[in-house]
Amino acid sequence: MSSPVADQPILVVQDVVKRFVLRRSAADWLRHRPGEIHTAVKGVSFEVARGEILGLAGGSGSGKTTLARMLIRLVEPDDGKILFRDTDVRAARGRGLREVRREIQMVFQDPYSSLNPRMRVGAAILEAGRVHHQPGAEDGDAFVTRMLDLVRLPASAATRRPQELSGGQRQRVAIARALAVGPSVLIADEAVSALDVSIQTQLLNLFLDLRDELGLSIIFVAHQLSVIAEVADRVAIMHEGAIKEIGSTADVFNDPQDDYTKTLIAAHPHPYPPAEGPSTVVSSSL
Amino acid sequence: MSTSPLLEIKELRIAFGRSHHSAVAVNNVSLDLGVGEVVGLVGESGSGKSLTCRSVIRMMPSSGLMTATEINFDGRDIMSLSPAQLREHRAHNVGMIFQDPFSCLDPTKRIGEQIAETLRVNAGLASATAHDRALELLRSVNIDKPEQRYRAYPHELSGGMRQRVMIAIAVSAKPKLLVADEPTTALDVTTQAQILTLIKQLRAETGMSVLLVSHDFGVIAQVCDRVAVMYGGYVVEFGPVRDICTRPQHPYTRALLESIPSMESAGRHVRRAGILGQPPSLGDVVEGCPFASRCSFATPQCRSIEMTRRTVGEGHTSACPFVGDDLVSQGAGPIGRADSTEGDAS
Amino acid sequence: MADVGVVVEKFARRRRAFRVKNWELTLGLVIVGLLVVAAILAPVIAPYNPNAINILHALEKPSWSHLMGTDFVGRDLFSRVLYGLRVDLLVVAVITYVGLAIGVTVGTVAGYLGGWFDAVVGRIADTVISFPFIVLVLAVIAIVGPGLKGVAIGIIVVGWALYARLARSEMLAMKEQPFMLATKALGYSNTRAIFRHALPNLVRSSLVYSTVDVVVNMLVLAGMSYLGLGQQAPGADLGSIIAGGQEYLLNAWWITTIPGAVLVLFGIGVSLIGDGLTNGELSMATI
Repeated sequence: MSSPVADQPILVVQDVVKRFVLRRSAADWLRHRPGEIHTAVKGVSFEVARGEILGLAGGSGSGKTTLARMLIRLVEPDDGKILFRDTDVRAARGRGLREVRREIQMVFQDPYSSLNPRMRVGAAILEAGRVHHQPGAEDGDAFVTRMLDLVRLPASAATRRPQELSGGQRQRVAIARALAVGPSVLIADEAVSALDVSIQTQLLNLFLDLRDELGLSIIFVAHQLSVIAEVADRVAIMHEGAIKEIGSTADVFNDPQDDYTKTLIAAHPHPYPPAEGPSTVVSSSL
Repeated sequence: MSTSPLLEIKELRIAFGRSHHSAVAVNNVSLDLGVGEVVGLVGESGSGKSLTCRSVIRMMPSSGLMTATEINFDGRDIMSLSPAQLREHRAHNVGMIFQDPFSCLDPTKRIGEQIAETLRVNAGLASATAHDRALELLRSVNIDKPEQRYRAYPHELSGGMRQRVMIAIAVSAKPKLLVADEPTTALDVTTQAQILTLIKQLRAETGMSVLLVSHDFGVIAQVCDRVAVMYGGYVVEFGPVRDICTRPQHPYTRALLESIPSMESAGRHVRRAGILGQPPSLGDVVEGCPFASRCSFATPQCRSIEMTRRTVGEGHTSACPFVGDDLVSQGAGPIGRADSTEGDAS
Repeated sequence: MADVGVVVEKFARRRRAFRVKNWELTLGLVIVGLLVVAAILAPVIAPYNPNAINILHALEKPSWSHLMGTDFVGRDLFSRVLYGLRVDLLVVAVITYVGLAIGVTVGTVAGYLGGWFDAVVGRIADTVISFPFIVLVLAVIAIVGPGLKGVAIGIIVVGWALYARLARSEMLAMKEQPFMLATKALGYSNTRAIFRHALPNLVRSSLVYSTVDVVVNMLVLAGMSYLGLGQQAPGADLGSIIAGGQEYLLNAWWITTIPGAVLVLFGIGVSLIGDGLTNGELSMATI
């Protein structure tokens, strides 16, 4: 892994904008008017440091998924600048774009549909490694075993099909496949939202491990503030296409400045009955 | 909440498939619900909580076979109702709301008319009265400009608004019980808080009981008086919500509560232990306690214990023979192991 | 978390595994299988040379020596039907599945890439589909000339379009599926995304549809031969045998009726397979 200057961010996003055309009537078309426009992301800027976990929080329709997808151009930005190391992501074409996509990997929300149902786990992981000529990918079995080991799955998982696995295991496979191409940034788009609480915890710990072991930067997109509080170093709160507040996780959650952030935090349901404060038994410090 | 029970479920069992290789989804579940009380059912997917709540109106998937010693609702045994009586029971005694309000509403009909239709059919109201009452209901679920919204189609409303409409329909017959199956799971937190407030408000106004199903302990803690924790088809712990959240007695409840991410961890980089392995899936034959394979306190005898709940506190029962305080005194650290994975299970 | 949904779905999947017995599929496979085996083994089974003329035995009723009777020049109908079936099945299989291969490939690529390629393919497919099928086939035969080759080219030229449209619309939906987004995110080439990941997943519905198409094509082929545009004498296919018996319908009913019945039987068999495939998702996945 190349090591850039410590304080130089690995990913820089500046004033990125995405507009969607909602409706374009025949009259609009005749007059060369663009029609009714919805601006999903309104000039968002942030940076991600190497080895950092940045949480991206917000409700549905806040633009967080659109923003995440723009970073690897699954959605084309309309304006602004995205810099990965020294590469201008928006200008990347062909091989350059594929290289960006190799470096910035994405894990999706639904582990039930993000894996090709007809491909065995091992084949899916190996394919990713071979397409990008990853070191070690010539020796298929060893490579697959190594990737499965990174996500704490036994080597025997390689011969399974996605539908034979549980939700949490599938999400681990999706992560292993992303890691197989040797990325330096991982975007987790609601990657634990569909999972049960006990499985969620295991996955959150896995993300933390991967950051520590591989020095990955992770952009963790989630609607659940508490999930972000558990893993993120910094957090950006999105609402209606804009970042309302960004800062260290401790600062934002303990001392929110923005009104929307305050509303979100206040609305979050705690497993403690309202009248009584948090008890020691269930606190995380156990 | 020691009022007379509105609902009493005794030894409910729900199984799928023919007898020789049937899969038991709900096992030996006994619950009670007082008049005006809010009881929560909490558990992870596959724990049997949704099926349990549907037993109240005997609404089972076609291949599901439901048996119970008794399901007593307001003095009547639900298990012995004739089809006509059952219809009557569903229409007047119990209102239901689900996770996805959109799929429960007819996309081609104005929402006001859908509410009015329910009133005409179930309460036998005349058209004009039904219209007025529907408006009143829209107002009662805190929908502003009800006259305007009356004429809206489902797709023109937000998710929270649609759930309000579903609630309006559910309470239109003034039911004694509202069954809410994951009513806020598809909604944003801010909307979720509003819907939960609305449910509490309606309960206070009408005195109806509520059975709330959720996978989210946070949601349960906000509204419920008592909570039943389900795992692998069993109710493993049942009691006052405050007791259970602060002094959980069953190891599963403890582990579950400890797994819940919290905003208090912000910036503290704590790692939760989580729960080792994964829950049993339908069709697995489990002897004894279904949690035994994931439980860090399990002993060999857990594989053969009978899953009946013992009293562990006032109105508080647990299916684990070891009481929670014992567990703590055993020097119980975090439940499960920090490096636990679900990988090697299944 | 749709608890009940998950539980029921899980269980339903398990139950379907027990119930591989799908009577429509089984019966369909038996019927079609018998016909195909008979056609393949025609040289072994056929008691006579299908083209051997024996005027002395012309227009004989079905009997033990001639199971399906003889035609107006005394050729053994059973032998002719076997050989005719052989020709028809081969031609139909080729035209249907060549059309399917072309259509699915073009449609998938068009759906994935979009843009001008999609527009051109879409326009051509729409044009082809909007013409009456038979008229277009006749037009192609007029250009290529009569004979099985003409009919085959004609049906392929027309037949690919429906598959293209089917595959394209499925591709449009599949493109948004997370696992297809994932192929982009993983930096896979378009070729890999389309042919390794999308195609195997969307070819199923085309295969199911092809069971309808096989029957239609069989009838069109027979129809063309009936009109004298398909199989040329003295070779036999079911259509030309039926046509040949038309003049003798009143005094030798078997010449038209028996090959006709074979055609109907084949149609029923294939339809049953189609139904069987649509009914059980699992049985489809295992095929």
